[in-house]
Amino acid sequence: MRRVAVVGVGQTKFRTRRDDKTHPELTYEAMNKALEHAGLDIKDIQAIAYGTMDPFDGIYLPERWDVTSGGIGKPFMKISTGGTTGMTTGLAAYEHVASGLFDIAMAVCTQRVGECVDAQPVLNTAVCPIYERYSGAGAISVAAIQATVHMHKYGTTEEDLAWVSVKDHKNALKNPNAHIKLDIGVEEVLNSSVVSSPLKLLECCPRSDGAVAVIFASEEVAKKIRDNPAWVIAETTISDDYYTGDRPDLSDWDTLAIAGRRLYRFAGVDDPKKDIDVAELYSPFTIQEVLELEALGFAKKGEGKNLAREGVTFPDGDMPTNPSGGVLCANPIGATGLVRLAEASLQIMGEASNQVRDVDVSLAHAWGGTLQFHTLMLLSAKKKLKG
Amino acid sequence: MVLKFETKWEIPFIHSAGEHGTKFFEALKDKKIMGVKCPECGRVLVPPRAFCERCFVDTTDWVEVSDEGEVVTVTVTYIKFTGLPDPPYATGIVKLDGADTGMLCLLGGVDLSDWKKVHETFKPGARVRAVWKEEREGKITDILYFEPVEK
Amino acid sequence: MKVGIVGIGITEFKIHDEPFYNVAYRAAKKAMEDAEIERREIDSFILGGYDNLGVGRTISNMYVAPAAGGYLRHEIRVSEDAAFALPLAYMRVKSGLSDVAIVLGFGHSSETPVELVELQSLDPLFHRDLKLSLQMGYAMQSFVYRNTFDVSEEDTAKVVVKNRKNAAKNEYAFQKESISEEEVISSDMAVYPLRKPEIAEWCDGCVAFVLAEETTAKRINPEPIWVEGLGWTYDNYFMGARDLSKLFATAKAAEMAYKMAEAKPTEMEAAEIMDLTSDYHFMILEALGFAEYGKAKELINSDLLVNKSGGALCTNAYGSTGAFLLANLAFQLRDGEIDKGIAQAMTGIAQNAAVAILAK
Repeated sequence: MRRVAVVGVGQTKFRTRRDDKTHPELTYEAMNKALEHAGLDIKDIQAIAYGTMDPFDGIYLPERWDVTSGGIGKPFMKISTGGTTGMTTGLAAYEHVASGLFDIAMAVCTQRVGECVDAQPVLNTAVCPIYERYSGAGAISVAAIQATVHMHKYGTTEEDLAWVSVKDHKNALKNPNAHIKLDIGVEEVLNSSVVSSPLKLLECCPRSDGAVAVIFASEEVAKKIRDNPAWVIAETTISDDYYTGDRPDLSDWDTLAIAGRRLYRFAGVDDPKKDIDVAELYSPFTIQEVLELEALGFAKKGEGKNLAREGVTFPDGDMPTNPSGGVLCANPIGATGLVRLAEASLQIMGEASNQVRDVDVSLAHAWGGTLQFHTLMLLSAKKKLKG
Repeated sequence: MVLKFETKWEIPFIHSAGEHGTKFFEALKDKKIMGVKCPECGRVLVPPRAFCERCFVDTTDWVEVSDEGEVVTVTVTYIKFTGLPDPPYATGIVKLDGADTGMLCLLGGVDLSDWKKVHETFKPGARVRAVWKEEREGKITDILYFEPVEK
Repeated sequence: MKVGIVGIGITEFKIHDEPFYNVAYRAAKKAMEDAEIERREIDSFILGGYDNLGVGRTISNMYVAPAAGGYLRHEIRVSEDAAFALPLAYMRVKSGLSDVAIVLGFGHSSETPVELVELQSLDPLFHRDLKLSLQMGYAMQSFVYRNTFDVSEEDTAKVVVKNRKNAAKNEYAFQKESISEEEVISSDMAVYPLRKPEIAEWCDGCVAFVLAEETTAKRINPEPIWVEGLGWTYDNYFMGARDLSKLFATAKAAEMAYKMAEAKPTEMEAAEIMDLTSDYHFMILEALGFAEYGKAKELINSDLLVNKSGGALCTNAYGSTGAFLLANLAFQLRDGEIDKGIAQAMTGIAQNAAVAILAK
């Protein structure tokens, strides 16, 4: 199988509103940052995979407009899979190169949630109009119902969850691109108002404008571009059936566990706790990091709630997660998955703003839909995980 | 100073329930909740669907399930979002007796101002029953919400 | 390693009463039955079709993934006509990451006015307030084409007549009613210079393909239909920056496909093209290299087998038209009528294109 690596990454600053730029201009900004990082020119990019979650930006199929940022005449493909979009776009660009059809491909995602007056009703349109939409379900309630079950089953407390928020916010302070920069402690999180019980305001992600681009290259080309590329070792996605009520146990994100098992088997990961040095997880709500840690094998079932409080997931802990500040501090929804991949790549390259020590292997994750989708990508400083 | 323009998306849709789904909605008029039983895995699926995703076969066996069941989970929303219900409102999943899957729905019939009390009343396993609309139309909103069954 | 189509499933193309995901299920099931495999033997599910406004549900692949058979499997969606999903599926199989993949195109137009949906793809700064509908865009391009190359309404009427004649013999086509040249020319003008029968109507329908890598493909189906060439690209968003007398995106995509297939236009024995209007029929043939620019009208009575399916003019479902055309081309290969053919798709106001070359 053809070896492919990430050779360049570009992120715009994530803010509530990027009024200074239009949609294609924001895309252009991220693309240029990635090109600069890789020391390439737009003419070197042979194909582009573009992703966004259309409805939030108030422009349907914005790629038609954004293609003007360097995509005209190139093979250009739009990927859209809900919250996982950012990472599935990355996955698609990776497959462009892995197939042998291209040597250099770019994934770019742009999201301007800031132009949408209220994001929740948009998310509500994802919920089935015939059977479920009237229940007012949106992204926050869907995470809140997970929290209710996890708390009931494992005694997870509001304070346990607050620690995840404290960690992510502290990490974001070191990330110049992060949207939310708040130096907070557990008290502030617990005192913030309840949005969808039991989740409070400081346990929920913001909505951010921003764009991100990641450049993938084949082995021979990657070597010429940099001597510290981030090699893609494995990728996978998984899809559950549609209805929220079908999930057998909301305290167990079993679809993520299944995807994780497949990824680890393919990559040759024996023990994720030992083999993986840092993870950028998609947790726009504190409870989801807890579920993700358990599903991915970083904690036993019911024990994920302890990791933040015990410092394990802080940058100097045994299993650092979201050193970038994560989704809790910047959420350009359709682009967020690619930001996870970008940050996970920077950690391998040793160029992340909140760099964790000795990173050889990193994991990037995204979830989407109303809990059904997961996408995972595993990166390494070496071409192969072992040997 | 940057100029800004306001727009709105107002796009009408007429969503078909399909021949299969129509049976479910017609039954709501009679205060009946119908599910389908997969001929292969035997699960009774509510809301009903035309095929079992796991076994990938048509589901044509209709089964009536109870309009009473147990709470799987709940959340109370306190913030107003454009176009969504006025807060506070409780959203949850209820597994009806006879069904193997839960159904996303509204929970109510209690004071929602103290979420901890609501989470206690509607804790996982709590028994609830449907509160039906007086004049039913064959829409999912014929079920107003699920309320606690008094012990 | 070659990649081949080993199973095809196509539903009726009409206005469906069923929700789009139920129709998608039928297409996937038919494709699996055609290939004689179970969903368990498929390792990737690649969807193609539109989202939110197109079907009234945001993240539409949540509904279509299980319908395609993707329950607990690897799944991804390309947001465009399914003709644009084929390259991604091909690349995944070619990379060795998947041996058997399903490509499912879901086309759904009947639940909402598609014109209103497409209107929202116009940027809110320069174009949306002009209320430019797809048909207006098509018409402006037709006007340029006819003027530049002296193409008459009789010429374009012949395209409609021919497509309808073909559609009448195609069990899968939507608009099967025959029409004469006189009837076309005396029909109501929709948007000048296009008359109503010269613009494709909308309908619903789904198509699924089972794709497999060479060795596995031959075990599933002793005669796979090989995907020999692929090309896809976009032209400029701003119509004023395009040469409207030609289809740049189709020409560029075709160039890429011919190069990959190491083939020439003269080797194509049949073409299935997305002629959303009568003028586009000619413009696409020119961009594909079958005639010099402006001269495709001379092909109307030639031997080149174009749109045996009746083309997009007779069957156009929002999201799956390209897949419909590809399936019809594949059927022609399967039935031994041809050995090599080309399929083309395009969306919006012909801004992009996806081209595929299939062969036995």
